[in-house]
Amino acid sequence: MIQVESLQKTYPGRKGQPACRAVDSITFSVPKGQLLGLLGPNGAGKTTTVKMLCGLILPDTGRIFVNGKELTRSRIAALADISAVLEGNRNMYWRLTPRENLEFFAALKGINPAKIRGEINHYLERFRLAEKSDVEARKLSRGMQQKLAILVALISQSKVILLDEPTLGLDVQASHEIRQLLKEIVAEQGRTVILTTHDMNVVQDTCERVIIVNQGRVVADDSVHNLLDLFKVRVYKVTIAGELTGEQRASLLSMEEVLIQEELPHQTVVSVRLEKSEVLYEVIGILGSNNSVIESIDQEQNNFERVFLEIVEGGAQVV
Amino acid sequence: MFRKILLMQAFIKKEFIVSKRYLVNSLGGVITLYVIFLLMFGGYQGLRSLAGVGGGTMEGLVAGYVLWLFMLTTYQDAWYTLRTEAQQGTLEQLYMSVHSFGWVMGAKVVAGFFFNLLLVAVLLGAALLTTGVTLNIDLLSLGPVLIGTLLGSWAIGFAIGGITLVLKRIDSYTQMVQFLLIALVAAPAGRVLWMRLLPCSFGSALISRIMVDGMNLTQIGMGDLLLVYGIGLVHLGLGCGIYKLCERKAMLQGTLGHY
Repeated sequence: MIQVESLQKTYPGRKGQPACRAVDSITFSVPKGQLLGLLGPNGAGKTTTVKMLCGLILPDTGRIFVNGKELTRSRIAALADISAVLEGNRNMYWRLTPRENLEFFAALKGINPAKIRGEINHYLERFRLAEKSDVEARKLSRGMQQKLAILVALISQSKVILLDEPTLGLDVQASHEIRQLLKEIVAEQGRTVILTTHDMNVVQDTCERVIIVNQGRVVADDSVHNLLDLFKVRVYKVTIAGELTGEQRASLLSMEEVLIQEELPHQTVVSVRLEKSEVLYEVIGILGSNNSVIESIDQEQNNFERVFLEIVEGGAQVV
Repeated sequence: MFRKILLMQAFIKKEFIVSKRYLVNSLGGVITLYVIFLLMFGGYQGLRSLAGVGGGTMEGLVAGYVLWLFMLTTYQDAWYTLRTEAQQGTLEQLYMSVHSFGWVMGAKVVAGFFFNLLLVAVLLGAALLTTGVTLNIDLLSLGPVLIGTLLGSWAIGFAIGGITLVLKRIDSYTQMVQFLLIALVAAPAGRVLWMRLLPCSFGSALISRIMVDGMNLTQIGMGDLLLVYGIGLVHLGLGCGIYKLCERKAMLQGTLGHY
């Protein structure tokens, strides 16, 4: 569906600043019906990549194919298959209502709004915007505006939807709602969705696959499941009643896998990062050496944030 | 073609909805333009250069005002649209249409033209009532000359719009264009030949002949009409060329939708 070949973009330096290579030979492809997360720290080149996919930034070199059509050669045909939410909730007219926005943007994509009234009503219901369908967009809550922004992208019937930070600034409930909607759209309609986000919960919850870019290069490209597996680190939290003795504390602190998380008069929590299972037994031995009572041993869940940091900060590559 | 008509309908509908929804604001714009006319009317002795399009008469003042108004609104349709869409964050969406951006802007300015026509008609009526003068409103003669004349103001709008895409906040400079338009309307292009090459000037002179001197298209002649279109199309080509150059620069810099 989307094929990106050796994409490169350097912004010229301004006022004596050196030129900045935002995207450095990025190559990837995204099949139909996949929900892909494009991640990276600030300035990694995500937005530049997405805007190049939309034909809004001209690459220095490289090619982009959308459904087999090369973007630079067949711009209009290629863009017919792409919709994007690029400016958060700003890709709509605030003085128009949700219904009027949807009708306008349908026409912009060459669709007769009169013929998709039913579809517009259906989407408004589904996105829980029906009650506000005749209220100006500027008067809606941020979550509703964000949903409308996504709806504007969906109504065009494009096969590829690009979303730049779709849950930015939303509360937990609105973010959850949007994540559910995205999953449903991909599952039911087979559309391809590429989203950029800094919210690792969104990635873990919605994306099948992630591409992590850092300093303009792809440093990881795999399924969320595989990356979680690859960077699996078992962390145990051991809670004991009372305080540690000086000897216990010294022994624990000499082990680099151990972190004393919390030390209160009635309770101490020790975090043990396991690479070898023997370490846990050793820690339990130290904690039990002074007749301390172990109240609980809990395993912490591995999460995508840890994976992301390992790749971006730890310099790991999974390509 | 059907999709292009749909697009134009969408722009007309949007303009209508916003004008109606913000009626007080829309009326405020009309009142402001009328107040400007009243100021011109009150001090028109001091503005004889503008009245010069009609030989320094009150008829010339009204005709010059109406022409300036038309040129101002069409220029703003092009420039102001680009600026506002960039500011709102919707410019990038317009670029992702199934139509080329040229068509999108074309549909927008044509939709705007109908609203401008209405606005100018209302203000022309008010100006005629206020001054008590009469003008020759021969629509069959005025229509073709007017469209040829406005090609120049669209050209200026696109050129300034393009420059805005690259340089961004240049509002203080674009205000000057309003006065430039007065100069273009007032330029004696009927008498000074080289001034016919200026945007809108020769067309303005012909419109003044129709409205003030009571001439019609047959008396003006096909040659002059073709000259208006020829000059207008050259200017429009230049304006669009400048826009395309600036658009490319903004796309290379990655600042197309920024404002």
